[in-house]
Amino acid sequence: MNALGTLLLFPGGLALLLVALLAEWISRKLLARLQNRVGPRWFQPLADTVKLLAKEEVIPEGVHRILFEFLPVLSLAAVLTAALAVPLFGVVPATSYAGDLIVTVYLLSLLTLCTSLAGLITDDHYAALGGLRVLSQLFSYEAPFLLALLGPAVAAESWQITRITAHAGSNVWMLFTQPVGFVVAVIGLMGKLELSPFDAPEAHTEIVAGSLTEYSGRGLALFRLSRNVALVVGLTLVAALYLGGVSDPLAFAVKTLALLLVITTVQALFARLRIDQTIGLWWHYGVLLALGQWFLILIGKGAA
Amino acid sequence: MTTHPDSAATPKRFTIPIGPQHPALKEPGFFEFTVEGETVIGATLRLGYAHRGIEKAVVSRTWVQNLYLLERVCGICSHIHSLAYCLGVEKLAGVTPPPRAQAIRVLIAELERMHSHLLWLGVAAHDAGFETLFMYSWRDRETILDLFEQISGNRVNHSINTLGGVKFDLTAEQIVSVLKAVELMEERARYYLDLVRNDPMLGQRIRGIGTMSAAEAHRMGVVGPTARASGVGRDLRVEAPYAAYTAIPVVVMLETDGDLQARFIVRIREMFESCRIIRVLLDHLPEGDLQARMPRRIPEGETIARVEAPRGELFYFIKSNGADMPERIKLRTPTLCNLGSVLALCIGRQLADIPMLLIGTDPCFSCNDRAVVIHQAGNREKWTWEQFRRYGNEALR
Repeated sequence: MNALGTLLLFPGGLALLLVALLAEWISRKLLARLQNRVGPRWFQPLADTVKLLAKEEVIPEGVHRILFEFLPVLSLAAVLTAALAVPLFGVVPATSYAGDLIVTVYLLSLLTLCTSLAGLITDDHYAALGGLRVLSQLFSYEAPFLLALLGPAVAAESWQITRITAHAGSNVWMLFTQPVGFVVAVIGLMGKLELSPFDAPEAHTEIVAGSLTEYSGRGLALFRLSRNVALVVGLTLVAALYLGGVSDPLAFAVKTLALLLVITTVQALFARLRIDQTIGLWWHYGVLLALGQWFLILIGKGAA
Repeated sequence: MTTHPDSAATPKRFTIPIGPQHPALKEPGFFEFTVEGETVIGATLRLGYAHRGIEKAVVSRTWVQNLYLLERVCGICSHIHSLAYCLGVEKLAGVTPPPRAQAIRVLIAELERMHSHLLWLGVAAHDAGFETLFMYSWRDRETILDLFEQISGNRVNHSINTLGGVKFDLTAEQIVSVLKAVELMEERARYYLDLVRNDPMLGQRIRGIGTMSAAEAHRMGVVGPTARASGVGRDLRVEAPYAAYTAIPVVVMLETDGDLQARFIVRIREMFESCRIIRVLLDHLPEGDLQARMPRRIPEGETIARVEAPRGELFYFIKSNGADMPERIKLRTPTLCNLGSVLALCIGRQLADIPMLLIGTDPCFSCNDRAVVIHQAGNREKWTWEQFRRYGNEALR
């Protein structure tokens, strides 16, 4: 396949952006129906994005102009790059090299860092507090999320995503062999994307829109888009690693969709956690569970 | 290992303004919180952004016109305001409304209490980031608004009260739909009570937070469900019964924990009590007239009227000089009594708890906004319209 086409049209680039918008719609619509609301029409995320892109971007006083404009672009670039090594739509990823799992996870974290920095560079107190909360949350979920993704890596004895998915496809689903890791990975993904109940960094009854309070127009559109892309990449990663590989594209799409529905349903169930409760949850339970799972895998490997 | 002197230094303090425009507050009030990290160490309050001059406006309207104006003091407890006004004016005129009118007044007041508590539950859930509960409770609240529409033709300002009685009778089919709605409300209230008591995630946000002891509640003079959640049994329906409450004893719902969870539980338990009162009322609905005859002029004199609004004690002072307009009406809404406690409760809490603590008292800002000018000795100047305008504009700056 033409390399440029792979990057710009399918599976990266345009197709990924459209699927990201579709994922946002599915999530919003289902959430609305669970809450007894009507919910948005199917093209609403696209319409929102187009509207925001067309709007004036207000750059507040006292902000570092270059960083303010550059951060949304960097975050979108980071998540689009992260998508390159991931088997989107079940097709072979654009690139694959030893250790690309680690690179992907950290490219996804770059989005979080950009979001945090976007709040910290403004004079706005809401944004600054939001930025601090984003950082606190990053430090709490990052370790367990990484540990949860490394579980399958250890089982497959490789740090390369294609090898792990190949191993996952030829064995029992790791959802069943490593259930704890799966739960930690799903919740970690929700923490990463600041989805309810882990949405303290953008708790709008406390700190308005959190670190993105000062963003409008293009910057906000790009941040929203990056978060949607990160959602798709994260879902693909967890589904590929834990739900039996990517052998059949159609089955893989169904699995990813099912995972999205699970995440959305969890969002409807709970009240928001305070930031200290989020951190407590992760360091008291998340890390310990993921570590315990890890030791079990290592012992199992040693015995085999 | 050496300790760095910097590590002992206090973290940077800064102020977080909440209001006059803020997603946590649907009405304009201005709170300024000083935070150290995420912990609140100071709080100040400024009110007056929605001052509408109603107390001034009532003295240039007739007794009947004021019914409609005072009903619009509050967008949620509209009935209870006109009820307090009617009770006061009827006391001045020496008129007792017929029993059926009194029963209908209480029926509407209890329905209003339920829809006010459901509205509060939704707002509180929203502040806790629990959008599903928010949507559910507001959906259930629609049942009562529809009922109001069926009875009076209006959902919010029903204007049921008139001087000397009520304007709308209850037909047999309306009684059936009220009973049906009461049944639904009881079922939903059971669900919400279970949720508020047992949901672990919501519990983390409300259990043991903003605890106010009975002694503190007394000292800060809080009223209504906020006081009852701290074990202070203040309820005018029991202490000074009015309208049909004289015949129906009300059970005061008391919780002793005094935390946010207790404020949730008290309000939801009051919904059960409202349902019970409505059933009793409808079982013994007296027959007869809806209105007593009012005299053409309200005699000279002054009086007070106190009623239990959904948020607590609502106080009216009414003074008549025998003319066709009142000489002075002073009203005090429950929010003013409760707001002081919020500032005291906030100190030392996490910033994330603040919207919850604020909403825990069920504040209603535009109802309680007043402009007060204190006359110094000998200074009796009257303000011109221009001076008022300038004062208002400066206040907002």
